[in-house]
Amino acid sequence: MAHKRLLDPHCEMILQEFRDNLPLFKETRAFLDKRLKEVLGEAGLILAALESRVKTEDSLAGKLELKGNKYKSLKDITDIIGLRIITFYTDDIAKVSTAVEKLFEIDWENSVDKRKLHEIDSFGYLSIHYICSIPDFPYRVEIQIRTVLQHAWANMNHDTGYKSGVEVPKRYLRNLNRLAGMLELVDEQFSIIRTELTDYRRRVHALVASGNLSDVPLDGDTFRSYMELEPFDALNKRIAAVNQAEIHEVSLLPYLPVFKRLGCKTLGDVDKIIKEYSDAAYQFASFQLGLTDLDIMSSSIGPQDICIAFILKNGGGRVGLKVMLDILNGESENNEMMAEVIEEQASSLPFMNK
Amino acid sequence: MEVFINKTDSETTVRFVGRLDTPASADVFKALDPVINDASGTIILDCKEMSYISSSGLRIFLTLRKAASAKGGRIIVKDICNDIRQVFMMTGFLNLFEIQ
Repeated sequence: MAHKRLLDPHCEMILQEFRDNLPLFKETRAFLDKRLKEVLGEAGLILAALESRVKTEDSLAGKLELKGNKYKSLKDITDIIGLRIITFYTDDIAKVSTAVEKLFEIDWENSVDKRKLHEIDSFGYLSIHYICSIPDFPYRVEIQIRTVLQHAWANMNHDTGYKSGVEVPKRYLRNLNRLAGMLELVDEQFSIIRTELTDYRRRVHALVASGNLSDVPLDGDTFRSYMELEPFDALNKRIAAVNQAEIHEVSLLPYLPVFKRLGCKTLGDVDKIIKEYSDAAYQFASFQLGLTDLDIMSSSIGPQDICIAFILKNGGGRVGLKVMLDILNGESENNEMMAEVIEEQASSLPFMNK
Repeated sequence: MEVFINKTDSETTVRFVGRLDTPASADVFKALDPVINDASGTIILDCKEMSYISSSGLRIFLTLRKAASAKGGRIIVKDICNDIRQVFMMTGFLNLFEIQ
């Protein structure tokens, strides 16, 4: 709760200047918040959060009460407007910093990169604090950049009350610093994992593009890359031509567990099934659709009918079909009925009798 | 075809009665306009009394799916008869919806 501050006339004057300019501060905060989100979004950076605030009158009064003589005017207080950019990864801090440095004029003398302040045997608060000047705005603003974990640590550390003037026992401080060291390691590991994953995806993408599908293990990333080659496209178009149907594109990722269940270990295995069973899938689809006037279908028709053809040709029967439907639609008694219908419909088709 | 919409705090239920064929689609689409515009919650498509669905009907279901997906909503298709289930299967719509 705000309490009455005892301020001298000089500090009262600074506080009055703050009150007079509050609408300008609020407007500038909103502008900077929007502008930073735009610029960082355009740079492709995904942030955990971007927070901004105008200092409250009570907080400013408290600051003036403590060290008012240090400030000649309100312009000497650099955090009237504060923005905090919170990234997921330490790597992104450098990218955000570069964007901020391009966007604003930095007062280097008053800015701090706390990452560079630590000695080899000390751990703790790591964050960048920029003091920035904005064109046509007579006050400076503070922009902090830190990771989610640094943010968590800073908040926890703040909660211990180290700023309250109450001395915190050394053992707690030591534990907090141990935590800081651990979080620094975790931050670093997250960045390493991200870099390795990006590298893995790049290599897989290259393998998929080069057609060496048998060397590519089947997983979520590789299947997604493979889908970019639109392996079901030709079959879908062929099926759509039966009724001049419109194809509604949907994600085919739900078919990954189905192909795994069919025994596929690599993208090469999936590719082989598509090549071997496309004709059978077409026979089945055209048998079903040919007697209807249905002129809309989803792009999952191709993989669905390929899996049906594979299961039936390899002796999986209605049990295998039910397993497939259970994977795709969730377990249900209705899947058993559907499996029975599919098996019956397919039984008279040429591909089943070859 | 008749459409009955019942909205509660937690969900919207759309009950279809009759054939959702091409002639009925325009009126059904119009009737569903408030559901499409407010698709952020759970929408139950009660098909217990729906006897037929045409391509136009499937397009309406797709529109609802897109609206719910854009607004963070959820579509549940309930109690479809075997004939309609087969239509969903032969068009690749079966795994586009949560079917109960």
